[in-house]
Amino acid sequence: MNFAFYFFLAIIALLVVVFLWSLRGSKKHAAPAPPPSSSLDLPGGHVAYLPQIRRALSSTDYEYASARIPRQALLRMRRERKQVALGYLAALREELIKLVRTAKVIASLSPKVAPKQELERVLLAANFLWRYRLIRLSVWAGFAPLPQINDLSNLLSAYSVRLEEAMKEMGERAALVAEMVSSPDRRRIHPV
Amino acid sequence: MAEIASLERAAWALMTLLNGCLVLLLLYRRNHRNFFFFFVYALTNLLQAPVLFESYRIWGFNSSVSFKIFWATQALVAAARTLAVAEICWRILANYRGIWALGWRLFLGMAAVVLVHAWVIGGHNWPVVALNADRSLWLAIGVAILTLFLFTQHFEVPFEPAPRFLAIGFFLYSCFQVLNDTVAERWLKPYAALWDFLGTLAFLASLLVWIWAMRPTEQPVASAPELLPEHLYRSLSPAINSRLKALNEQLGHFWHAEGKKT
Repeated sequence: MNFAFYFFLAIIALLVVVFLWSLRGSKKHAAPAPPPSSSLDLPGGHVAYLPQIRRALSSTDYEYASARIPRQALLRMRRERKQVALGYLAALREELIKLVRTAKVIASLSPKVAPKQELERVLLAANFLWRYRLIRLSVWAGFAPLPQINDLSNLLSAYSVRLEEAMKEMGERAALVAEMVSSPDRRRIHPV
Repeated sequence: MAEIASLERAAWALMTLLNGCLVLLLLYRRNHRNFFFFFVYALTNLLQAPVLFESYRIWGFNSSVSFKIFWATQALVAAARTLAVAEICWRILANYRGIWALGWRLFLGMAAVVLVHAWVIGGHNWPVVALNADRSLWLAIGVAILTLFLFTQHFEVPFEPAPRFLAIGFFLYSCFQVLNDTVAERWLKPYAALWDFLGTLAFLASLLVWIWAMRPTEQPVASAPELLPEHLYRSLSPAINSRLKALNEQLGHFWHAEGKKT
């Protein structure tokens, strides 16, 4: 009797907390602000800035500077490099969110959805986000090896290009998916 | 106790009045067509009150006939309520064929798991068995509604205000009923009057939310958006997933590299 009593109390407390959280989210997308893009906004926009970021974060650059500039300037440079890394990580996260959002819209407008694919995506996105937070924290604390970010960006760029090719093949339909992403009311749009 | 009993009677009268208002509002705004099962639920709820009142008057509150009538009408109301919740889920997701097919299985699966689990966890001796069945059903409804909210949030499906408020009303009332049944089970006799009164208050709150939801004339379910060809999902979804997978692997490498360095 006691166990059942506390079990149901705990369950209701949990349900109410998750419900309040879900209400907050649903309010947010009840009236979404349409993004300005008219084409499918594929991740990979950071690629244009990759050489500059790579340069800014390279260890040789830092070593070269450390031998020639005063300590204060070096500290400032280190701080700025950290800011660049943090900004870059934030951009990666933004790209992930765009990617996941595109996948959601495609799923919601598909006549058939594979539960396995959907579950896998939820787990992958959750996995990415908690790792991202951990890495961000370590970069912020000054522990992370900044040049390693290059690998991450290479990976993103490569996949961006591949996905972009796949999307180009889809032609007009892909562009219409983007319209649906940006539309506050998807029902008004008739892609065909 | 006597004060609670008189308050309970007043709350009952108010509840019947508000329930009547809800039924009339549904008819007046022609929402009974758009939310047919919700209308049936409101109507059965409204009719339950005079039936119970008459049975208590004729056979007395503690008679076995009144007890059986109470549970029989309760079963009818529970069936209507389940259909009304299913109708809300359908109204929100029916236009999105793919996720609706995934969604209804998920809602039903979650509700069934909760129903069975709550049944196993709760007691099995009569009259607790009826209380336990009632609580399991309420919990299943609460979980199904919560799953609907999480599902719409995940897929960013627009949740119209009217069904949203209806779902909120059902969720709040189902949570309170689970608590009510749990407390009633533990302290069956001493606090029965108080908890009956609190249950009536919770239902009054839900009625107000539903009346608020039914103020405007709700549009019938909008025509379904043209769906994308099936192959688009088949080709893009795995591509996106494999990209996310590789991205995760890279984050893992990043972390390991950092570990070595520090």
